[in-house]
Parts: sequence; C-alpha cells; structure tokens
Amino acid sequence: MLQFFSQTIWLIPCYALIGAIFAIPWSPGLIRRTGPRPSGYINILMTFVALVHSIFALVEVRQTGTQFFSFNWLDAASLQINFEMIASPVTVGALILIAGLNFLAQIYAVGYLEMDWGWARFYSLMALFEAGMCALVLCNSLFFSYVILEILTLGTYLLIGFWFNQSLVVTGARDAFLTKRVGDLILLMGVVALLPLAKTWNFQELAIWANTVELDPRLATLLTLALIAGPLAKCAQFPLHLWLDEAMEGPMPATILRNTVVVSTGAWVLIRLEPVIALSSFTINTALWIGGVTAVGASLIAIAQIDIKRILSYSTSAFMGLIFITVGIGEPQIAFSLLLTYAVAMALIIMSLGGIILNNISQDVTQYGALWSRRPVSALCFLVGVGSLVALPPLGDFWGLAELSNTLNGPFLGILLLVNGAIAFSMARVWGLMFTGDPTPMTQRSPEGLWALVLPMTGLAGIALHLPLILSQLNLLPEFPLLTETPVLLLTASTLIGGSAGLVIYWNRNRKGAVTLGSQALQDFFAYDFYTAKLYKLTIVFAVDIISQIIYWIDRFIVDGVVNLVGLITVFSGQTIRYNTSGQTQFYVLSIILGIALLGITLCYPFFDQLNFVLN
Amino acid sequence: MELQLEFFLLLAAALFCIGIYGLVTSRNAVRVLMSVELLLNAVNLNLMGFSNFLDPQEIKGQVFTIFVITVAAAEAAVGLAIILAIYRNRDTIDMEQFNLLKW
Repeated sequence: MLQFFSQTIWLIPCYALIGAIFAIPWSPGLIRRTGPRPSGYINILMTFVALVHSIFALVEVRQTGTQFFSFNWLDAASLQINFEMIASPVTVGALILIAGLNFLAQIYAVGYLEMDWGWARFYSLMALFEAGMCALVLCNSLFFSYVILEILTLGTYLLIGFWFNQSLVVTGARDAFLTKRVGDLILLMGVVALLPLAKTWNFQELAIWANTVELDPRLATLLTLALIAGPLAKCAQFPLHLWLDEAMEGPMPATILRNTVVVSTGAWVLIRLEPVIALSSFTINTALWIGGVTAVGASLIAIAQIDIKRILSYSTSAFMGLIFITVGIGEPQIAFSLLLTYAVAMALIIMSLGGIILNNISQDVTQYGALWSRRPVSALCFLVGVGSLVALPPLGDFWGLAELSNTLNGPFLGILLLVNGAIAFSMARVWGLMFTGDPTPMTQRSPEGLWALVLPMTGLAGIALHLPLILSQLNLLPEFPLLTETPVLLLTASTLIGGSAGLVIYWNRNRKGAVTLGSQALQDFFAYDFYTAKLYKLTIVFAVDIISQIIYWIDRFIVDGVVNLVGLITVFSGQTIRYNTSGQTQFYVLSIILGIALLGITLCYPFFDQLNFVLN
Repeated sequence: MELQLEFFLLLAAALFCIGIYGLVTSRNAVRVLMSVELLLNAVNLNLMGFSNFLDPQEIKGQVFTIFVITVAAAEAAVGLAIILAIYRNRDTIDMEQFNLLKW
C-alpha cells in the first residue's frame, strides 16, 4: 500500500487528459441543449484527483526516496527510445504545484467565464496544459521533454486564440506559436546533436556524461547554445519576449497558468540541463547576460506599461531572467525553490487583478483609482502576492532571492538588486494607481467578485502566507546567519527603496495627470517595449518576407517558366512545322526524293572513295 | 573509245535527274506524268545497261525492262484517268490549284 501512489504516478497526467477528452462533448456544436458547464466541473474534479494523488505520492516519495520508471516507446534498429520518468521529492512537489495552481485557476475560471459559452474548449486546453506540464516534470528524458514542450506550444497557440474573432488575439496567438516554435526548433537541433555525443537523453546520465567528457570547446558552445534557445523562447527572454506581451490577449484564467507555470516549463528544462550547459563557459555567460538584460529591461518596461496584464507579463519575463541567472551560476536548487515561490506569488497577483478587470472592464491602470475601500480582499491578496514576489522577509521569494544574492557577485548582484527594486517599484505603482487616489468613472462601483473568484484567490493567499513554513518543513530555507550578510540586507533595502519610491510617487493626492519621465522619447522607448515589434518587422520578418517573395517569384517565373517553355516550344514548333504539309503533291515528291538522296548519301558515304573508277 | 557501262549509267542518271526536275517543277499535270515516264525510261536504261554488261547470258534485265514498260503503260493510263477525273471537277490541271489537303 505504501508504494501504491508513487508506483502509479504516471496516472497523474492521464487524469487531466481524461478530463480534456470528457470536456469536448460539451462543445456548443455537440451537446446543444444543456450549456457547457459540466465540462468545467469534470475537469475540476479530475484536477482535484490529480492533486490528491500527487500529495499522497509526495508523502510516499519522501519516505522511500526517488523512484525511476521507464517504458519502451520505440525500438528500431540501433535506436531505443524509452519514456523515462522520475518521481523525486522535487518532481512530485512540482506536480502538486501544477495541479494545485490548475485547480485554483479552474475554479477561478468558473467565475471568470460565467458569461462565456466556450467552456469545453477552454477546459480541454487547460487540462491539456496540466497534462503536458505534469508529464514534463515527471519526464526524465530530454527527448520527451522536447516532445511535451512542442505539444505545449501548440496548446499555447490554441489557448491564446480562444476568442479568435478578435484580430489582436489572432496575431498574438500567431506570434506566440512562431516565437516559441523557433526556440523549440533550435532546441531540437541541440537534442539531436546530443545523442551521438552522449548516447543518452536521460537527464541523470547526461549529467554524469557532462562531468567526465572532454568536448571540443567550439562544439560544446554550439551545442549548449542550441540547448538554451528553447528555454529562451519558452521563458520569454530577450530577444524572444514579445509573444508573452501579445499572449495577454488570452483569457485571464489561462494567463494565471501561463505566467506562472507554463513559462516555467522552459526554465524547468533549462535547470535540468544545467550540467550540460556548464560544459561551455561561453554559454554560461550568454545565459547570464540574457537573463540579466531581460530582467533589467523587462522590469523597466513593466514600469512604463499602462495595461495591467502587460505589467504582469513583463514582470514574468524579468523573473524568468533571474531564473536564467540562477542557472547560469550553477544553482539548480535555488532555481527550483524560486520557481515554486514565484509561481504562487504571481498567480496570486494575477488572480487579484483579474477579478478587478472582470468587474471594471478596463485594463488601463490609469483608468483606476480608490479600489482599496471597495475591494479590500483583492487588495490584500495583491499585497500578499507582491510581498511574496519581491524580496520582502519573511514572505516566499525572499528566501530564494536571499540565497541567490549571497552567491552572486559583481554586476549580477547589481542586476538582482535593480530588478528587485524595479519590480517593487512597478508593483507599488500598480497599487498607487489602482487602489489609492480618487475614484474614477470606471471604479465608481466596483463590487467584490463572486465566490468562485474570491475563494481560489484567498486560498492561494493562505498558501502564499504559509509558504515560508512549508519551505522550512521541506528544509529549503537557508541557514540563519546568511540573513545578516550584506547582499541580503541590500536586497531587502532595494525592495523597500523601490516600493516606497513607487508609493511616494503614485500614492500622492496632489499628483495631477500622468507621471512623466524627463524625456518623452525615453518614456516611449520603454512603453513600446524597446520597439520590439518594429524590430522584428524590420529584421527577421522583413528578411523572411522578402526572401519568400523572391523565392515565390523564382518559382512562379523561372522554375514554372522553364517547364512552360518546353510546352510552348512544342506548341510553337507544331504550329510552325505543319506548314511543311503544303498540300502541293510535288513538294511531297521533292521531300521524298531529298529523303532518299540523303539516305543514299549517308549509306554510301563509306564507299565514296571507291567511286574513283568513274573518273579514271 | 569503247562504250562502257558507266556511260549508260551516267546517261540514265542524267535522264532521271531531268525527270525529277520536271516532276517537281511542272505546273501541268500531264507534264508531271511525262516526267514520270522519263524516270521510268531512265530506269529502263539502267536495266538494259546492267543486263548487257553484267548479265549477257541470262539477260534478266531485259525481262525486267519489258515488265517496267508494261506497268508504265498501265500507270500512265491510270494517271491520265485520274487527271481527267480531277479536271472534270475543277476545270484545271494546274498542279498549284490542287493544294486542298494542306495543314
């Protein structure tokens, strides 16, 4: 009995898949009379089952230790591909996180999608995500991690394109798919190149291989660069970050999932590949600087946004940049615990702001004000989420960030402090703009949400508040003396300085109109996301577009033209040669005679020198 | 100078060429038939020459010649009949008017 739940841990992705399949019949075209709600209830039930199963499994795994499972997927010639699974405390903990967040997000969606008929599609896709992510964390093989990442990319496309009659949704879903696809494809190059070198795709064996192998530095660099390209796009890092901004067109409950766990799937693969990536110091530096630049850039962009959801999406990019830095310095354990605490905190923030958007319609923070007195529960949950997101002792992310700050030095410690301060500032800005000040026309009447919105939000706030206790139970908290180190104190100070600066600027009753930076150009530069859309359009999109047009032209006129020319030549020659049939019998006779003469000359040519006797 | 086979053959070839020239260039259909007769006669000359110089014993060439003359007569008769038939329809024996069956 003790082994039952961990032995059947492979069932957890299957629960969600079953939910996904059972939701489909409630599509408006199939069951026409009852409405779509049962699809949601089934999926919530299945997610709950998965959650309970993974909790029991965690209890077992903590007693019995890590377990490995494997079944044969493909056995062809010299290639054997096994679907390998690992049930360790970390992976089962991640299962709980995924199933738990999905459970809360699905309950949230019951309230949020009250006025929507597309439950079947929505819940199927949410379940597909849950199944994909559970399979990803269980999966112990790089190959199948890639497979699942690709399925999740397709899922992202479909889920962002949920309300596909809106044009921005269509372009956003397109960009999300293509951007993530590019990263995945480069990752595939790395995955394929890795097999002949390492002879395995198993993460543990890869780590062992990476510890002993001596690779040509250039090969190692190219290989590891390809391997970080996939997570780069998945985690919305510079320069492949625009998709996450445009993905904010999707439904809010899906955003909860995407901003917390789906972007983390890339980080998950990155963390597990850390031993391989460590083969190349160039790649490590690349990862560090990509993470650093993204973290700083995205956290500054987030300050300049007026769209609530976009503020959150850039904060997500920034935080994933910190994860990149963590992996870059070779600290997978810190990265895992940061992912855990970050997911809880960000989900809480998105839930609280999403509930406000649902009742107040606008997503423009400048249209808001004075929600504190009207929405105290949302406001408190927002505060708890923000406290967990930035380094504010004793809440969640503080511990991970503190450990991180202690291992960092040089410019990256500065980046961490700056990013932490900037996120604190931008969240204080959201607080100041939305919850304080005078009521605006949009917020004159702002009732607290339905129970289905508030219950998961407050539940998650409870989890966020208990997170330090949970971490200490799991022995994930750092030792106490660490907390008095200078970097940790600096980190806390950056939070306080950033947050209080935001509050001073935006919680100011005398403030009139929008806060402006000195330079309008600089402000626009951040507000328009460094003009990334324009940059894409002028570089890669332009190049691919022009090349495809040239190739189309070549195809249309040169390749087609050559073949058509053959046809034209035969038609033309037929049209011309027919005039040989002149209708003149004598002409025919002439051609017969000429033909005979020609044939005679050809046949007799070898004997011409014997004709000399005539002349003699 | 003794008569040689080559002289006969050259004469026959010359006659043949004249016949062909007439066959291809004449506009009068009867003249075309006459050119055909020239061709046949050139052939007959060849046959007679070969028969005399190469096969004086069995003179198979002369037998061939008799057949050719016979068949040529018949052919000329049929040819004139055809020309007459065409003439009845089209009131002309100009070869350039008989180009109905073109491309």
